[in-house]
Amino acid sequence: MEILIYGITNSIILSLMSLGFALVYSISRVPNFAHGALYITSGYIVWLLINKAGLPYLPSVLLGLAAASLIGALMYRFIIMRIRGMEISEIIGTYAIGLAMIEGLRWGGLRGMTYTLPAFVSGSTEIGGVSIDYQRIIIIITGILIFILLFLFTRYNRIGLALRGIAQDERAAMMLGIDSDMTAIISLAIGSGLAGLAAVLLLPLGNIVVEQGYNVLIFAVAVCVIGGLGSWGGTIVASFIIGFAQILTEKYISSHFVMVVALLAIVVTLLIKPSGIFGKQKQLEERV
Amino acid sequence: MRRALVSLAVLLFVFLFFCVASHSAEPPIVIGAPLSTAFLYGWDAERGIKLAVEEINTGGGVSIGGKKRPFKVEVIDTRDLEPGVPVSEALMALEKLILEKKADFIVGGPVRSEAAMAAMDLLSKHKKVSILTSGVLTPAYTAKIAGNYEKYKYCFRNTSHVGVMMGELVMLLEDMKKSFGFNKAYIMVQDVAHARAGGEAMKKALTEKGWTVIDMKIYPTGTGDYSVGLLDAGRKGAQILFLWMDMPESAILLKQWSDMKLKSIPIGFVNAAEQPGFFKATEGKGEYLIVDLVNGGNAPSKITPWTMKFVDAYKKKWGLEPEGYGTSSSYMAVYQLKDAIEKANSTDSSTIITALENGDIMGVYGRMRFDKKTHQVIPSLDPKEGAVTGIIQWQKGKRVQVFPPKVSDGKVLLPPWMK
Repeated sequence: MEILIYGITNSIILSLMSLGFALVYSISRVPNFAHGALYITSGYIVWLLINKAGLPYLPSVLLGLAAASLIGALMYRFIIMRIRGMEISEIIGTYAIGLAMIEGLRWGGLRGMTYTLPAFVSGSTEIGGVSIDYQRIIIIITGILIFILLFLFTRYNRIGLALRGIAQDERAAMMLGIDSDMTAIISLAIGSGLAGLAAVLLLPLGNIVVEQGYNVLIFAVAVCVIGGLGSWGGTIVASFIIGFAQILTEKYISSHFVMVVALLAIVVTLLIKPSGIFGKQKQLEERV
Repeated sequence: MRRALVSLAVLLFVFLFFCVASHSAEPPIVIGAPLSTAFLYGWDAERGIKLAVEEINTGGGVSIGGKKRPFKVEVIDTRDLEPGVPVSEALMALEKLILEKKADFIVGGPVRSEAAMAAMDLLSKHKKVSILTSGVLTPAYTAKIAGNYEKYKYCFRNTSHVGVMMGELVMLLEDMKKSFGFNKAYIMVQDVAHARAGGEAMKKALTEKGWTVIDMKIYPTGTGDYSVGLLDAGRKGAQILFLWMDMPESAILLKQWSDMKLKSIPIGFVNAAEQPGFFKATEGKGEYLIVDLVNGGNAPSKITPWTMKFVDAYKKKWGLEPEGYGTSSSYMAVYQLKDAIEKANSTDSSTIITALENGDIMGVYGRMRFDKKTHQVIPSLDPKEGAVTGIIQWQKGKRVQVFPPKVSDGKVLLPPWMK
């Protein structure tokens, strides 16, 4: 029971960390290496709104998510749009923006370990004899809701369908009148908003430290590589594989190897199926 | 023409005035502080040093050769606590302090053990006296001095090390064994050299004292979930959770411990739990946690008459209590240096070394004396005999000194769910 409960929790935490990265890549083909920075920046914005501006919790969260989306959209409009299509430049550009944001936060005073966001609900309960806190239960429920909403959005909403169209075949979608840059802006905005949502849900478990920005990016990349770059379904499946593998490793092998699991999974994936579990990059498959 | 002459005369007067003024002011004694300033053990050391310098300068400065010379601090960011930053970066920063900033003495860091150990050769090369005050907990530092005294005699350390800290923590645990009947411990440490060594040493020491050490879990840096270990500890009846971690994610562990209401009390070296803001940051979930702050005075206590005087002065200048390890020791190092310079009546390294070796002042956390062979500050459980540790417990949102008994301000309390 313990493995089941904490395996699911860990998996959903990983998928929340990586969903925004996967979404942006699948639609705009931009590997957003500023994803971790957006995660920590939105968490810090919410903290500022609560603790410095004195706003109540819910408006702070909503404003924080809006700010994250706006940063993502502006980032695309003024920086990424100019280098779109040049893959190396995209990687360097987004990584540089991420570095500037993270180190800017450090320079601006986000130092130490005393910054945190409050939990939605404090306290814990027992499920099947296993103790679990309410915040983790909220994470599980919200995570599942986000999966469902994203699924519905990309199938029954005009903008969502446009995003899917671009993701499937950009040229064909453009011929049908879908604006590629606009969808990329929307994807960056949604992806950044998802990074912000992950921050609001996950940061109350610990504290807001700039190093988290790097950790989130590493996990997001690991999950997406294993699941298959550009595949949302793959991202969720990979999150569950790594999430459960980590819990099982700690339980039956050693806690010492928990972080190695994700890295090992990347190596195995690259050896066996380099495009990832649900990846569709035929060039990679053919090379192997 | 007349106006021009008057202007020229005024300018000449101003110029001469400043020339005379600058010649009459004594040149400052430069303290170089190589610190990882983005991290607690760096910025709190910087604040401690600056406070001491300000106090000394306000009092007239350092008496040397019948004159008073002020201290001047040059801080440089070594970045050595940042992940992935090479040791060479810290060494370059240190050399810059010595060569460019003309530091007469080095106080503070480098803060990471590997960087500090590597810096010893540089200090020896430039014959610069250094007092290490923060971050470096390895006993190897002072063992290296004892191993080659002639080469490394320039290096001193006025803060504790793992060897001493483990002994003190074992004593505290033995006291708790007597008071509460505890005999089962569960060790959880971070996967870094000092923490693993600390965990192993504690496991050995507790086993020798008749404790049952249920398990020792090693967590990689960045671990974000501790449920498996905590549930295991709870199931197997651990009464003590011994922790040794300096990663921010240890806050997750403590929140999980509190939410699970485990019948065990966390004790150890937990960087995330040192700062005054920790209690608020964990929404009170850090209550009852026992933390080793390495030296007394890093939280309010009444170790010596100077302790609260220092705490109050720090609060007045920086707007908050001393935050953690590295604060009181960095503050005291400046006073130890002042004492040595005044006794030596010189800033020459060889005479300062002798003066520091013979120094004996009552400081913020007890009597400050260096061992003549190792240059390690002499520790004690009695402030009249040596430097005293600062082991605190979070009680009602405050850091209360609970060990050593001679200077404790309160007893160890158990969470209500453990009674």
